[in-house]
Amino acid sequence: MKKKLLVAASVAMMAASIPAACQAAEKVDLNVIAAQYGQNTAEWWANFVTEFNAANEGINLNVEVVSWNDIYTVVNTRIQNGEAPDILNIDVFADYQADGLLLPAKDYVSEETYAKMYESFLAQSDIDGTVWAIPDLASARAMYYNADILEAAGVQPPTTWEELKAACEAIKAYDDTIYPWGIDMTTDEGQAAFAYYTWNNGGGFVDENGDWALNSPENVEAVQFAIDLVNAGYTNSDPANDTRYDLQDMFGAGKIAMVIAPNSLPTYIAEGGYEVNYGVASIPCNKGESVSAGVMDRFMCFDNGYTDEELAAVKTFFDYFYEDERYSDWVLMEGFLPATVAGGEAIAAADESMAAWVDIVGSSKFYPTAKAEWADVKQGVIDVEQNALLGEDIQTLLDDLQAEIAG
Amino acid sequence: MKKKKVWRTVQPYVWLLPSILLMAVFILLPIMEVFRSAFSEISKAGINKGFAGFDNFRKVLKSSAFSLVLKNTVVWTVAVVGLSTLFGFILALVLNNEFRGRKVARAIVVFPWATSLIIQAGVWKFIIDTDYGALNTLLQKLGLITKAVNWTPTPGAYFAWECWVGIFVTVPFVTFCVLSGLQSIDAALYESATVDGAGYWQKLFNITVPLVKPSLTVCTVLNIIYVFNSFPIVWTITKGDPANRTDTLVTYLYKLAFYNGKSGQAAAVSVIGFLILLFCASLYMISVLRKEGKDE
Repeated sequence: MKKKLLVAASVAMMAASIPAACQAAEKVDLNVIAAQYGQNTAEWWANFVTEFNAANEGINLNVEVVSWNDIYTVVNTRIQNGEAPDILNIDVFADYQADGLLLPAKDYVSEETYAKMYESFLAQSDIDGTVWAIPDLASARAMYYNADILEAAGVQPPTTWEELKAACEAIKAYDDTIYPWGIDMTTDEGQAAFAYYTWNNGGGFVDENGDWALNSPENVEAVQFAIDLVNAGYTNSDPANDTRYDLQDMFGAGKIAMVIAPNSLPTYIAEGGYEVNYGVASIPCNKGESVSAGVMDRFMCFDNGYTDEELAAVKTFFDYFYEDERYSDWVLMEGFLPATVAGGEAIAAADESMAAWVDIVGSSKFYPTAKAEWADVKQGVIDVEQNALLGEDIQTLLDDLQAEIAG
Repeated sequence: MKKKKVWRTVQPYVWLLPSILLMAVFILLPIMEVFRSAFSEISKAGINKGFAGFDNFRKVLKSSAFSLVLKNTVVWTVAVVGLSTLFGFILALVLNNEFRGRKVARAIVVFPWATSLIIQAGVWKFIIDTDYGALNTLLQKLGLITKAVNWTPTPGAYFAWECWVGIFVTVPFVTFCVLSGLQSIDAALYESATVDGAGYWQKLFNITVPLVKPSLTVCTVLNIIYVFNSFPIVWTITKGDPANRTDTLVTYLYKLAFYNGKSGQAAAVSVIGFLILLFCASLYMISVLRKEGKDE
């Protein structure tokens, strides 16, 4: 009897141990939503997933690549349905943080990987002393000029606003069918124009304390300068509707002589079949040193109540992604700039023309996207520019915006 | 016997059930959801933070852009529906005549209607562009102009072009509605009117217009709804820029929801649009029901 009981007990124990064994074999699912930067993004991620899953048997990585047009709607819908992704690759993070949906970066990134990032980049995702997101790539802006047109007009690339006006005048006198200067004040990216002129006049979105300072005298002067360029006929005819891509096309076609554009412009014009003898220079400034505008995207991790094992899988993902060689490949895939020190060194060593850009992005100013009011400010400054184009008073417009945002 | 009677009573409802379910799921539920959002505080990340009363409506009505956008929407709807009805009616009268190549002409009229609105708007945007537009190139090649003309120097000019594109794509629908009405008119009516000495205009206003009116009314009501809610033309050409000068309610609420993250306010604008259309549709329904009452 005792023997029978022993056998029965052993069988029961074995049976009970089967689910445990199965559980041990179960994989940790990791769901990522990533923005589609260009034509190569989806393929790059597909290869990444295959390699990652092969190298990490306990993790089942799933990456969904979504276009920029749809990504905000897709993410918000998932959040509303309680199906937030584990990791999200997008530009903004403050709205998710404000709703308490994110984990602090140090909770989901290993110390080693965290230490790879540029400090100035991490600071862009800092709210009240906690960093909530980590940078995945960046791009920077500079002034591109058509060297042939400038030479024919007998001018040097301008470095100050005065020189810029003089250069525009000379180009106009040389050929009045060419637009000397390109300006984009559209709903798509009008906030960039605001940044170019205000940052290079000692102003900007915020003051030295980080408080909104939209109606500062420097900002009023800067917007006035940009509007004056339009009114003098130095720019493309329709700044409220000509997007950055329209300007890039016109630059490629030799219709615009000078334009502020990202480091990806040469690739863009080459893919468009244009051939331009171009040069790159700093954005002309009025006060202080020239400031470049940086744009940075991020990874963030949603707080989905992870177990230690799941959190370890997230860390593994980031360690794997930011592995130096793989990360350089990611950045170069669509012609962007790196957000890690090692990535910057690798890219600068591989391509001399990129070295200057790595320096530029390291010293760029960024939009204050960590502030909760950023979306309203972004739309607000675009409205100010467009109303100013229609002849409204810039001081009044900026005063109203400041009052609306800062109360 | 009794069973059969019960089945006969229930049967129509059984057949109607799938349609009712479909309408409930795909029409009623989304409408209810929009109303719920309009009265809720929705965070930028899309989380419903609870009941907000009329807060979203108050914010929308307080914004300086809203009255401008509402005015644009009225101008847009009246101009597009009004002029396309007029042009469509005239075109239908022409196409109703016997002439060589009538079939081909009718097929050509369908083209703008059969093409996607985004493509149409994109093509027109390309045609009128100052820098690389086809219109300037054509006029320069013909020697009519020497320098590129800016066809859109003001927001008003842009809006007029958008209305024109709206008219261009709406005319075919009106034409075919009127044409179907025209073809159902008995030719004997015109013959007897001619015998009685009626002229072209008398026949037009006393025979054609009254008999085409029912199909024209349905077509106008449908057009008001379509045009009022139309998004692709304005969005493709100007995105409502500059500074809301060419926005209509639909493009404005899209920007609120997907550019500014204000889903609650966007839903409030949507509800306002819904109520305006409901009012217009009710006027039509009341007039139709009254007429039916008189006929009986």
